[in-house]
Amino acid sequence: MSTETSAGEPADESGRAGLRANAKWYILSYPLVWLVAVFLVPLLMLVVFSFWVNIPGGQYEAGFTLENYVRFLTTSLYLEQLWLTIELALVTSVASLLLGYPLAYYLARLDRPWLRSTLLITIISSLWITYVIRAYAWQVILASNGIISSLGVALGILETQTSFYPGYWGLIVGMVYVFLPFMVLTLYSSLRNLDGELLEASKNLGAGPLRTFRRVTLPLTKNGVASGTSLVFILALGAYVLPRLLGSGQQRTLPVLIEQQIMSESNYPFGAAMSIGLILVVLVFLWLLLRVTNVTTGDLGGVEAGGDDDGDTPRNSRGMTTRGWDAVVGVSDAIGLTSALGAVGAGVRNVVESVDSNTREAVIGASLNVYVAAVMLYVAGPLAIIVAVSFTPSEFLTFPPGGFSLQWYVTFFTEPGWIVSLFNSLTIAVAAALLSTSIGGILAFSLDRFDYRFESVLATFGVLPILVPPVIIGVAFLVFFLQIGFAGNWLSIVVAHGIFYAPFPFILVMQGLRELDRTYEEAAMNLGASPIRTIRTITYPLLRANVVSGALFAFILSLNEYIIAWLLSLFLVDTIPIHIFNQLRYSYPPTIAAASTVFILLTVVVMTSIDRLSGGIWQ
Amino acid sequence: MSRITLDGVSKRYDRDVLAVDDIDLEIESGEFVTLVGPSGCGKTTTLRTIAGFEKPTAGTVRIGGEDVTDAPPYERNTGMVFQDFALFPHMTVHENVAYGMEADGGYTTEEIDDRVAEMLELVELPDTADRYPDQLSGGQQQRIALARALAPKPDALLLDEPLASLDKKLREQMQVELRRIQQEIGITTVFVTHNQEEALTMSDRLAVMNEGRFDQVGPPGDVYDEPDSRFVADFLGTANIFDGSVTAVEDGRATVDCEDAAVSSRSGAATAVGDDVAVVIRPERFRFVSEATDGGTREGTANVFEGEITFTRHLGSSVEFRLETEAGRELVVVHRSGLQAYESGDQVTVAVDADDCRLVSQ
Repeated sequence: MSTETSAGEPADESGRAGLRANAKWYILSYPLVWLVAVFLVPLLMLVVFSFWVNIPGGQYEAGFTLENYVRFLTTSLYLEQLWLTIELALVTSVASLLLGYPLAYYLARLDRPWLRSTLLITIISSLWITYVIRAYAWQVILASNGIISSLGVALGILETQTSFYPGYWGLIVGMVYVFLPFMVLTLYSSLRNLDGELLEASKNLGAGPLRTFRRVTLPLTKNGVASGTSLVFILALGAYVLPRLLGSGQQRTLPVLIEQQIMSESNYPFGAAMSIGLILVVLVFLWLLLRVTNVTTGDLGGVEAGGDDDGDTPRNSRGMTTRGWDAVVGVSDAIGLTSALGAVGAGVRNVVESVDSNTREAVIGASLNVYVAAVMLYVAGPLAIIVAVSFTPSEFLTFPPGGFSLQWYVTFFTEPGWIVSLFNSLTIAVAAALLSTSIGGILAFSLDRFDYRFESVLATFGVLPILVPPVIIGVAFLVFFLQIGFAGNWLSIVVAHGIFYAPFPFILVMQGLRELDRTYEEAAMNLGASPIRTIRTITYPLLRANVVSGALFAFILSLNEYIIAWLLSLFLVDTIPIHIFNQLRYSYPPTIAAASTVFILLTVVVMTSIDRLSGGIWQ
Repeated sequence: MSRITLDGVSKRYDRDVLAVDDIDLEIESGEFVTLVGPSGCGKTTTLRTIAGFEKPTAGTVRIGGEDVTDAPPYERNTGMVFQDFALFPHMTVHENVAYGMEADGGYTTEEIDDRVAEMLELVELPDTADRYPDQLSGGQQQRIALARALAPKPDALLLDEPLASLDKKLREQMQVELRRIQQEIGITTVFVTHNQEEALTMSDRLAVMNEGRFDQVGPPGDVYDEPDSRFVADFLGTANIFDGSVTAVEDGRATVDCEDAAVSSRSGAATAVGDDVAVVIRPERFRFVSEATDGGTREGTANVFEGEITFTRHLGSSVEFRLETEAGRELVVVHRSGLQAYESGDQVTVAVDADDCRLVSQ
């Protein structure tokens, strides 16, 4: 018997939550004020700014000129860097897919829960640790006195100490390292949704492991492949820290150029124009994605957005059209991927079919294990090295550390510069977490409880901020805050982080509300509890795990965020990521490693508690 | 305790879906009324309308004489037991049962504690106060849900398929228990079920619902024995139904031509020759006859059918036979256990008096 109320039937308000008709607008206005007035307005201002006239020397004036765009689109340097940005993002997403799929597959099929949760926690924790620390880890590995170089000399492969960064390949290694966890987690959830019986059915029908994979597993997880690849692509497009720390002067990607225009050249209109250019690239890509697949923007956020009428769609809907897949195949054909894979596949098959099936399964299983172990090493190794390095007794970064000392931790906790930035980081993160939880949580609650026109537009608002490259968020807020005289203080960073990370609480609370059995609330109201009392005594307690997880996510993300904080700091506010980044420009004191270790520990603790709280949301 | 009155209540979802279609119902104070019908018939919507979770599109709802049509659920004094019990998982049994009184605000802590103890006594689970719902069995959860609904002394008890998630044995036990408690307190009760057996065994009156309307309202025995419609006859219990048209009416007897047989039945007041009707014969109304001992019944008013037993099924206290007549009609006959031992393949003759046949419109 249907108890659903239909859209646009005002008479049903009391039947749903017992609130008066206008209440839904009062409630919605809170998140909307933040997301429209404080998020959309800066973005629109950015558009306006990009047409203003720059006056050399850090000034600009209102006006209308296309000069900024003309300069962007006619200077070969900028066009080359634009293409480089896209190329890096493409290479990163394809490499992440190739490395990530087997790992995700292995995790999804793993029988030992403790091992799976250990590996997942490792992957997830590394995911949230600031890019600054993770880029630093690769500097340690790739530097001329780093691990690879030392190992190469020791083994006689290299004649002298050689540095593998800055440069293109060092940058790629770092980018893949940083974005691989996003790919693995997206694919993992898609593979977990795959019904194991389907694979058994395929094997029962006589298909070997390769055929089962090709005919059953891969087609059923192509949505996950599309989401993961797009997510990594979009994130990589906006990468700023890695190109700065691992790339050379040739690898100045668009975000790096934008930051330069703003912070060094003070050419705001031109920086704005380049930002709009970057947004357009993202939008075109999203548009293509939505055209050829039916992956939604919500999917990119990890969870379906709250659409109008798709509330009952199964989470793992395999709706991506064949057309969409064909298009992907078409694209990969164009870059020769399919034929290359086909050749490799045929070769493998020839070898594989020359042996009996038991040996074959054993060989496939063993190679998968080796491959997975190598990828896990790639994911976990660099941070382990940072931790090891932090205990070095020597003045310089060396690996292996050659001793044990806590002196760098002492320095970290006693030097005022570090203490102040730690304090700033923590206060900003706590405040931003509260703000984003209030925005995301209330938006999710109102969308779940009331019917609005344009509900799917509002839901998209909930996930929109994370789809905009952070460097652009930073520039937009900077322009906005400069206009209203609010830049260069910690509160401006709180506001920017609070809005930028609102999607995480939004998605988590939305998910909690979806899973919440409405009957509990009806039971409470039947027992005489008013709507407010029902929310306080029933709804909130049952949602608490989701709300707290959302807040912790926002906290950890804000804690680890660099570029927005940097742009808004106007050199006046120091956070840990900013402090580390600035130190990396001049020297590599092992204090950085100690600071990083503290941060890694903090992140692991918080992520583990989110996992505990939610009863294993990662499973 | 209060009477509940539904007056011309309709509930429309969207434009076309009429879940409840202009129903009237008077439930007397202390009465146990069951709404029974197939899924989608509107019975749950009706119950939710009484509870205030659905606002009727038209009509009025009165509880204890007071018009509550526009009152939200928390301002109506009803106690509801939900299908899956909806015990608050983050609260102990004590907190669950106390919830309604705390929300009311008019009770002291001692009063609440006493009342909770009293309620747990009533449902015979006095030692569960500190447990959480997931530490209780299905049957225990059911009782606690009932205790919680009754604790704030509601005007009416609303039961939404509360026994559906219990296994058969427990369900039968709870049917008795629920009825005992209801009669002990004497509370007006509306019970929703799709289970016709529950409807027949528990209620003072039952209302058979179909497509948003009441097909028939009355005491269980009356509705079972004297169904008003083919739907009611078919839905409640098992019925042999003969569709045909009336060829003669005389002395309160109608003769109905059903193609393969002419059936003689009590006629209704308005039955006329030419009416398309259905003759309803309950399985237990048939008796087996043998020509040697019982030849007389072949004359007179009895309807006699011959057929071959195709299937037998022991139901415990009775046995169900299915037999196929020469014309190919299947009849269901139920007989007390331990009388005749017929087996599949036996040729038998069954008879039923015209007085045991009921004529309904098609």
